[in-house]
Amino acid sequence: MEEITGMLTESEIRMAELCLDKALELGADKARVTLNKSLMELFGILNGELDKVNHCLDRSLSVCLFVDGKYGTFSTNRLVDSELDSFLRKSVATVRMLAEDPCRDLPDPGRTVKDALSGKELGLYDPSYPSLTSDERLKMALDASIFKKHEEDGLISEEGEYSDSIFDTFVLDSNGLRCRHIETSFEYGVEMTVKDPEGNRFSGYWWDSTPRLADLKISDCGETAFQRAMAQIGPKKVPSGKYTLVVDSENSSRLVTPLTSALGAFALQQKNSFLLDTLGKKVFPEWLDLIDMPHAKGQTGSRLFDSEGVATKETPVIEKGVVKEYFVNTYMSNKMGIAPTIEDVTRPVIPPCVSPELTKPGKMDRQAIMDLVKDGILVTGFNGGNSNSATGDFSFGVEGFLFKDGRVVHPVREMLITGNLLTLWNNLLAAGDDARTCKSKVIPTLAFKNVDFSA
Amino acid sequence: MPNNENYYLDLFQVTRPQLESLVAAGIKEGGSYSDLFFENTTYQDLLLRDGIVSSGGFHIDYGVGIRVLKGDRTGYAYSESTDTKSMTEAAKAAALIATGQGNLAGADLGHQPYPAAARRGQTRPGPEGGPAINYYPFVGDWRMAEAKVFVPFMERIQKEISARDNRVLKVIISLSNQISDILMFNSFGELTHDTRPMGTVAASIVFTQNGKIENKTVSRSYRTGTEMLTDTLLEEIVSEAVKGIDERFAARRPKGGKMSVVMGAGASGILLHEAMGHAFEADFNRKGQSIFSDRIGEKVCSEDISIVDDGTIPGNRGAVNFDDEGVPGQKTFMVRNGVLESYLHDRISATHFGVSPTGNGRRESFRYAPIPRMRATYMLGGKTSKEDIIASVRKGVYVDQFSNGQVQIGEGDFTFFVKSGFLIEEGKLTMPVKDINIIGNGPQALADITAVGNDPKVDEGAWTCGKGQSCPVSCGIPTVLVNNLTVGGE
Repeated sequence: MEEITGMLTESEIRMAELCLDKALELGADKARVTLNKSLMELFGILNGELDKVNHCLDRSLSVCLFVDGKYGTFSTNRLVDSELDSFLRKSVATVRMLAEDPCRDLPDPGRTVKDALSGKELGLYDPSYPSLTSDERLKMALDASIFKKHEEDGLISEEGEYSDSIFDTFVLDSNGLRCRHIETSFEYGVEMTVKDPEGNRFSGYWWDSTPRLADLKISDCGETAFQRAMAQIGPKKVPSGKYTLVVDSENSSRLVTPLTSALGAFALQQKNSFLLDTLGKKVFPEWLDLIDMPHAKGQTGSRLFDSEGVATKETPVIEKGVVKEYFVNTYMSNKMGIAPTIEDVTRPVIPPCVSPELTKPGKMDRQAIMDLVKDGILVTGFNGGNSNSATGDFSFGVEGFLFKDGRVVHPVREMLITGNLLTLWNNLLAAGDDARTCKSKVIPTLAFKNVDFSA
Repeated sequence: MPNNENYYLDLFQVTRPQLESLVAAGIKEGGSYSDLFFENTTYQDLLLRDGIVSSGGFHIDYGVGIRVLKGDRTGYAYSESTDTKSMTEAAKAAALIATGQGNLAGADLGHQPYPAAARRGQTRPGPEGGPAINYYPFVGDWRMAEAKVFVPFMERIQKEISARDNRVLKVIISLSNQISDILMFNSFGELTHDTRPMGTVAASIVFTQNGKIENKTVSRSYRTGTEMLTDTLLEEIVSEAVKGIDERFAARRPKGGKMSVVMGAGASGILLHEAMGHAFEADFNRKGQSIFSDRIGEKVCSEDISIVDDGTIPGNRGAVNFDDEGVPGQKTFMVRNGVLESYLHDRISATHFGVSPTGNGRRESFRYAPIPRMRATYMLGGKTSKEDIIASVRKGVYVDQFSNGQVQIGEGDFTFFVKSGFLIEEGKLTMPVKDINIIGNGPQALADITAVGNDPKVDEGAWTCGKGQSCPVSCGIPTVLVNNLTVGGE
């Protein structure tokens, strides 16, 4: 086997193919093999000085086996011939001990991806990656530090990390599927901790991540994190009550994830979803659209196929308030007797929108939305909390700022928002156009009316 | 457990001279300390859904992590192969921290051997590098048992749960287990080894009543072997699964705001984990980020309160014979009689503060460098009965089941999510409540504990702590009264 270079080699791909053949030879009726390989380099900087260096190289092979109407999943990182043989033998034997389940199957070949052969079709691979040196990585991490600049301004800790990675996955199955996905990622994140004159500590975090190094906005992160920490000094209490909630685009996806989870067949089949029986029904406001856009070239989160190898496509999930899509894999499709789609949302996007009770402004960034709704609480961070998947009831810890007439008055913290997700989304006032491109969930600043805040 | 270093050397296909050579490579490059962490873990999982165990599998994870320290700084790399070439390359990558790379920072890279303080606190290991005391002896090796052995146990749990409450709509039972063989070696020449079992059974149930849906999850997790699968465990899971469902359907959101909160014994230990445990992890204090930085020796709460982090509870999910730096498992008082006594240290922070490591250097796997992590964090018992504590509250909430929590280290603001509880009105439990978040500030919450119950209990659920890497932990507390926490509500 060749030396690992950070991407799958021909011999590694051949090994995956041999594993598929071997699984069938050992008695599997059908099988899927997934081979992953990744390399990550990290340079951590503490207060302007090198603090840690990490080098992480991973390979793993996972196998889904369908044997005598039974099903099991297995994985190993012991990728040597002698180990793989016993791994596969034991895997097949283990599947035979489980109960039959006629709903288990590979996806129909007509649904699987056909155009993901090189792995680079979505433009998520940066060709400059292989030539990047450790010295260059370290220099980027060190140059991003602004600790000395703000040491006299109350900054007591700056912890920054530059990292980059390459991820390569190859999937094949016994129905003829062969697909590959390769992406590089470059990321910088920094946490600043500041102290006020009374000794109280406040922290602020900011980050950026892109598939291409040239697009990484590394130099903005430190100052943004520092300003986010400083802005929190001097928090004041506000009374409990109903306020307009504005959630910035760094945090707004937190309110979308429970929706897409509730539209997943695993929750629906178990009746553990507050969006049960909503397909085709209008349960959200008609100005809300949520679209899965997995094919955006060069954009974080884009994928041509899901873990079964099923081809993704641009799909309305919620259109004019109507639920248009459940996320249904092959197993759940057979179990529930409904048409399969893909197993999960890939790259959800909420386009800009405004409730009819307001007038759409020219700009739709965070400040424009605060100006639009005039008074409320801007949330710039969540602190814990959860939601009940069966009822949609939620309660989240939040921090942020009280604002009046669109202008920040003072920071607030140690507050909670509580309610029901369906009610919350039906109180949507606006969605901006300022989603962060570094995130796979493309969710902009959101505003909701009549939200219960406890303080 | 094999108590023979040859078993582990053979498993990882290495020799002592090889280990010595690898750590020497990091030191030679200018490192002050180096260590190796070999791991071979086998996971197995089985899932019962819709009445049948129709999916399952096993997963093998094998490799070695190599760390080189230069003072407080860490170089880390790992290899999924233990052949000489792969390990040598990983050692070189880890040694980057100690080589000329650091000169770019203009930092002092003078060679300083790791001080003796990093070794203090070591108790004598057992024969041939094994633990002096084994906190998780086990009989039934999960790796030797076939999947079919566990299927009837899972089916019985499902049938019992369904039989005991006719509102049960769906049941999912999962059984997961793992065994990890660990071999550690460091530049002090210390070789230690451990074999760590873990078994977890969880039930997730959906109930329906008059068109309404409610869900509940129950879990039990222990560092032990297959012998944990007893009728007693089955009965515990089943009875907890169907307990309190009337209240859950009747529960409402309380009116939110500041109020007294009575934390029920056991799982309420999440308060300690979030409110102070994380802030006591010494890496946050070394970096000056924690709200408890520079407060050792201060009185922070009632002298009735003592809080420990303990790796020595037999069979507990947070037990460690050795931590992941080879430091023996131990019990650490974070607060003794109201006074802050110790942070939770790994070797780096112990050296930084000039104290002994406390056996808290833990990691998710060989893919991660160890950092200070909790084990089983709990409060010792007090003098007051649970009934008297509840009776003392005019208006507040009693909470006893939780799903998750979080903390902001700098500010000290912590939260935890309450799955069930009751309103307290005039000293009595009244309306059931559920699905509310509670938020407070760590030091303030500690100072606001005004009563400690005589019913200490460590929870046995499958708690997992996330801090960039997952770690099995547990938590516990007697019934306590905390004044002035903010409760989410309408």
